[in-house]
Amino acid sequence: MAQSSARSGPPLPASVLAGFAAAIVAVVLMAAVSYQGQQRGIAAADAVTQGVERIVQVQNVLSSTKDAETGQRGFLLTGDEAYLEPYVSGSAAIASELAKIRGLTASNLEQRQRLDQLQVVIAAKLAEQRSTIALKRAGKSAEALAEVRTDRGKVLMDRIRALVDEMQNVDRAQLAQRQLEWQQTAALSTRITWIGAGVLLVLIAAAAALVSRDYRARQLQTWLRLGQMGLGERIQGDQTLEVLGNNVVSFLAQYLGAQVGAIYIADGADRFRRFAGYALPPNSPNESIRGGDTLLGQAVRDNRAVRLVDIPPDYVLPIASAIGRGAPREILIAPASIDGTAQGAVEFGFFGRTDGSQQQLLELLSTMVAVAVRSSKDRTRLEELLEETQRQAEELQSQQEELRVNNEELDEQSRALKESQAQMESQQVELEQTNAQLEEQTQMLEHQKETLSKQQELLVERAADLERANLYKSQFLANMSHELRTPLNSTLILAKILGDNKDGNLTEQQVKFAHTISTAGNDLLALINDVLDLSKIEAGKIDLKPEAVRIAKAIDDQSKLFQPQAEKRGIKFSAAVLPGTADTIVTDPQRLGQILKNLCSNAVKFTERGEVTLKVSSDANAIYFNVSDTGVGIPESQHRNIFEAFQQADGSIHRKFGGTGLGLSISRDLAHRLGGQITLQSIPGQGSVFTLRLPHVLPVESEDPTAAAAQPEVKRNAVIESAAPKPRRPAPAQIEDDRAHLQPHARCILVIEDDAAFAGILRDLAREMNYQCVVTHSASDGLLAATELRPSAILLDVNLPDYSGLGVLGQLKRNPITRHIPVHITSVADHSQGALELGAVGYALKPVSREQLVDALRRLETKLSQGVRRVLVVEDDERQRDSIRELLTMADLHITAVESGGKALVALRSMTFDCMVMDLTLPDFSGFELLERMAEQEDVSVPPVIVYTGRALSADDEQKLRRFSKSIILKDARSPERLLDEVTLFLHQVESALPADRQRMLKMARDQDVAFEGRRILVVEDDVRNIFALTSLLEPKGAQVQIARNGHEALGALAKSTARDADRIDLVLMDVMMPEMDGFTAMREIRKRAEWKRLPIIALTAKAMQDDLEACMAAGANDYIAKPLDVEKLLSLIRVWMPK
Amino acid sequence: MDAEIEQNTTDAKRWEIEYRLLVDAIYQMYHYDFRGYAVASLKRRLRTAMLRFDCRSLSQLQDRLLSEPQFFASLLNFLTVPVSEMFRDPAYFRALREQVVPVLRTYPSLKMWVAGCSTGEEVYSLAILLREEGLLERSLIYATDINPDSLRKAEAGIYEIDRIAAFTDSHQRSGGRSSLSDYYVAAYGRAVFDKSLRRRIVFSDHSLATDSVFAEVQLISCRNVLIYFNRELQDRALQLFREALCRKGFLGIGSKESLRFSTQANNFGDFVREERIYQKRDAA
Repeated sequence: MAQSSARSGPPLPASVLAGFAAAIVAVVLMAAVSYQGQQRGIAAADAVTQGVERIVQVQNVLSSTKDAETGQRGFLLTGDEAYLEPYVSGSAAIASELAKIRGLTASNLEQRQRLDQLQVVIAAKLAEQRSTIALKRAGKSAEALAEVRTDRGKVLMDRIRALVDEMQNVDRAQLAQRQLEWQQTAALSTRITWIGAGVLLVLIAAAAALVSRDYRARQLQTWLRLGQMGLGERIQGDQTLEVLGNNVVSFLAQYLGAQVGAIYIADGADRFRRFAGYALPPNSPNESIRGGDTLLGQAVRDNRAVRLVDIPPDYVLPIASAIGRGAPREILIAPASIDGTAQGAVEFGFFGRTDGSQQQLLELLSTMVAVAVRSSKDRTRLEELLEETQRQAEELQSQQEELRVNNEELDEQSRALKESQAQMESQQVELEQTNAQLEEQTQMLEHQKETLSKQQELLVERAADLERANLYKSQFLANMSHELRTPLNSTLILAKILGDNKDGNLTEQQVKFAHTISTAGNDLLALINDVLDLSKIEAGKIDLKPEAVRIAKAIDDQSKLFQPQAEKRGIKFSAAVLPGTADTIVTDPQRLGQILKNLCSNAVKFTERGEVTLKVSSDANAIYFNVSDTGVGIPESQHRNIFEAFQQADGSIHRKFGGTGLGLSISRDLAHRLGGQITLQSIPGQGSVFTLRLPHVLPVESEDPTAAAAQPEVKRNAVIESAAPKPRRPAPAQIEDDRAHLQPHARCILVIEDDAAFAGILRDLAREMNYQCVVTHSASDGLLAATELRPSAILLDVNLPDYSGLGVLGQLKRNPITRHIPVHITSVADHSQGALELGAVGYALKPVSREQLVDALRRLETKLSQGVRRVLVVEDDERQRDSIRELLTMADLHITAVESGGKALVALRSMTFDCMVMDLTLPDFSGFELLERMAEQEDVSVPPVIVYTGRALSADDEQKLRRFSKSIILKDARSPERLLDEVTLFLHQVESALPADRQRMLKMARDQDVAFEGRRILVVEDDVRNIFALTSLLEPKGAQVQIARNGHEALGALAKSTARDADRIDLVLMDVMMPEMDGFTAMREIRKRAEWKRLPIIALTAKAMQDDLEACMAAGANDYIAKPLDVEKLLSLIRVWMPK
Repeated sequence: MDAEIEQNTTDAKRWEIEYRLLVDAIYQMYHYDFRGYAVASLKRRLRTAMLRFDCRSLSQLQDRLLSEPQFFASLLNFLTVPVSEMFRDPAYFRALREQVVPVLRTYPSLKMWVAGCSTGEEVYSLAILLREEGLLERSLIYATDINPDSLRKAEAGIYEIDRIAAFTDSHQRSGGRSSLSDYYVAAYGRAVFDKSLRRRIVFSDHSLATDSVFAEVQLISCRNVLIYFNRELQDRALQLFREALCRKGFLGIGSKESLRFSTQANNFGDFVREERIYQKRDAA
């Protein structure tokens, strides 16, 4: 109000003001008229009253006069004084009554005159009476009578009567007159009131009409203004044309209530291009329009808005939604122009009718849209120019740099030129000499070449000779041994007969000789047999006769054969067929027997104490015959040799144990022919295991040597495959739970437990504590339920039929959907550290008491009810503690600050924290120790730790801390902001923030892998990020990861590992780019040492080019993988190279 | 020469084809990827090389290049621009010292990457700066370049003595706290930089065009390298830098370079605007 009064000008529009003035005048007039009428009425009433009074009084005077006359007459007649009474009272009253009338007729002259007359007459009458009465009293009755008879009294009396009548008549006439007047006044007054009311009504109606019109106009203005403001808001800021167009068209369509819309931009040369649309049907035509073409073009050319109503339905594009389509009934087209030039145009279609305001708004916004479009265009252009400028600046800079180089180059060249001139001369001389030398050398080379080719020819010939000779040898041997055997046979028989000495005619000595001949002959025979066999096999001359062989029988045969031999040597021989082994094998029984015999006889021969066992097992692919002994064993370097003909582990052994040394060669070759192979594992001094692997059925094409050679691969894979998945136990039957009737927002606990009884207990307990409960019996079902049902909490068993519960936990914690769900672990075995590190809330070892379970659920419950986030601050200095607390104070954050490690542990035990900030120097024990204790204690769940310390850290310290701590901050001027930043990060971190490859890596690291189980992998890498990634990839697979940060450390670690067998490193992952000693040098150093020659090394390199990779191999890597690491590829590489 | 080549359009077209073939040949033969280099600059350098090696056409150059691996090594010195100075743009080093180093102090150990280190002047400048600030002992600097010649020179750390005067001046203007002479020994017309500086530096061959990230670092200095790249290659390099930088890590680029038009622009925020020092932003 103050504002409007402050403004100059009339407070109301003139018309309204005039109306109000008219109303005021009408009211004043009405008031005046009715006041006047009132006054007149009052005057008239007064006059009437006076008139009536006068009439009454005049009547009274008359009656008093009559009274006086009556009294007079009575007296005159009787003379009795008593009759005089009326006269006395009458004459006495007359005077006062006349005075009264006079008072009443003060204003009426005419009547006053009559009154004067009347008074005179009455006075005369009274005088007459007085005289008569006086006469009577005087006794003069007759005179009195005479007096009366003169009729003077009567005349007077008549006169009085006439006067009274006259007066009364006049008054009556006046009275009537007054009454008439009063009535007229009243009527007038009423009329005026009616008229006034009428005028007022008209005015009120007019005012109402005015106000309503005004209100409507203001409504429209507000709508227009809001439209302007809304659009203004939408087109604020630096927007690209496309964004701007979309903003404009969608805002306008919504604001106008249009169902479809499009915006066009002037695209130079009188062309308009559509650059945004609202609910446009796909493939709308008219992407581009020329000025004057189509209605839109015309509207632009005329710079005038166009409104189309009642459009034929086939004219327009339909407006479509998911459930229907229809044609707009009205179309609005408006150009957006500024300074007379159209910058663009908008077109909208409506289902309903518009009322003109829409068009008004569009016209109003025309300039605004045009300005926005123009400035956006300008901005885009500016941006382009800027970019161009930037490009030019860069170009200029590069030219400058090049110029500098060229300059330097020139300088150097001129210097070099001088030097080279001098050199040239001397070189000239040298050249000539060299030329001559070259000539000589060429000739020499020519000569050498000739010699070489001659030698080559010779070599080829020799090779052919050799091959031939070999064949001859085999044939000769085959023939020869046959020839040898025949005489030997008789020699043996005869020697036997001699030895038996049946006739008793030989001396003891002679018998002994005969025995010696027999034994030597037997040995010779064995040797000849072996040589024959071997040569037959080599010459490809043995025939196989496959048939079904009962394995038990084959074993039994061997057992029978070797049991006594073994007993003789004082060792134990046992043979067994493992349960689950196939009953029969289709192969050549004779050859099988031969191989087994060979292996067993070797085993028995080389075992001095202990035992020899023959075990048979089978899988889907093959049947395995294991012959193990506790004998001398074979060093690894000899493993290959012993299978070669005429070779044994130790030359001396032959002599000691006898035998030809051909047995293993024969066995190996036979095994190949039978489609299998023999492998050996042995530790010197502890014994050996020979394994014969044969297929279930002897392959028909067993002659093909490549088939045999290919077998080992198959076997290796088969072992891995068969061992990789955990043997599946059948899951117990599903127990009854709440999954069928889950209430949407109720608290729900997911129990993942394969022991049905225990699961039932957990379920009942959960229900008791007002949870709904879903029970699953396997890891995969559990994971599925967790992601689908999103339970409030999870109780998880570790020992599940399909995967480990720890794997489930890891997966839960890695899935953004489930990672917030608190998990409590129960298990028979202690996996607490792993579980808590993976983020479990708590851990309970089976068997669990009821109290412990209740406690676990409570723990989950507190975690659930934690709306606020908690930070634990461990800092010994009070001021620091307060300042950290001060620094971190924020909404919904509960900070617990303690000053010692002990108290920190107590705090950690009593509740779970989302983040922990700790100093390393603490009064009771060091930060390192605190971290270690945290990790060790199973009832402490470890939050992300930020180490905040003033202490400088050595590389080792840092390495140690990195195991537990996500972030290390050294106290310095800028550290508080970093601390705040990191804490905030941990409090709000979600897993999706992790880079994609890291997520993938984490996902991969799921279950354990046989190829990795218990293996030691040395990771030589200096980048913390990669160390973390590799560790978290390999460790969950069961591998032990050792870290070295450069080549020196790697060599040190390897040297240490060779000292103890348990520390043996199985594989090395070697980064190439490292400080102090790089990966190439390190690999070369490693390969220099004989014992590390076979150590598998996989190089990790950021270089991707072929020759970089070749360089890795040349330096000694067995294989390489390029960074960024492809997890699956890395894992398969490790599997391939990991020694079996 | 220019006039000769651009005499008519046929020549220009031939030149264009030869250029592309040459760059491709280099890539296939030696795995150096110059395909993403700024064309104008590379062409100029090739012209210089043609002059220098007395080749009449790029094809001739290409022929030699394919047949003589040794020739490629010397050509590489023309294709790259091995020019650098110590404490070049002293204001940049002053900004590092005064504004970046205080933040770096809060890290227990530091890694930095000088990408495109050329002959090493900038690496030694950074090392000296860190030593002066007491951070060198917990720092490791990766110095990478594609030119093995340059890398060898960088590793040697030996510079012409007549350049040292300018280096000293720049060092002082960068806010140097000690004398530059504390860090080198001059003899026989050369100055050899302190070997102890080198202990914290890893020199390595690395291409921003083909190779990937090798470590997580807190600071990357890559100055006057991006100017030789086209936009796509610039984006690739910046993407590598983003991956290599730790959370809130720093990136310094040359005074005439800008991130503004890169697709990576949103991943970096200004830290010292006028010296082109950026800080990595958290991913949105």
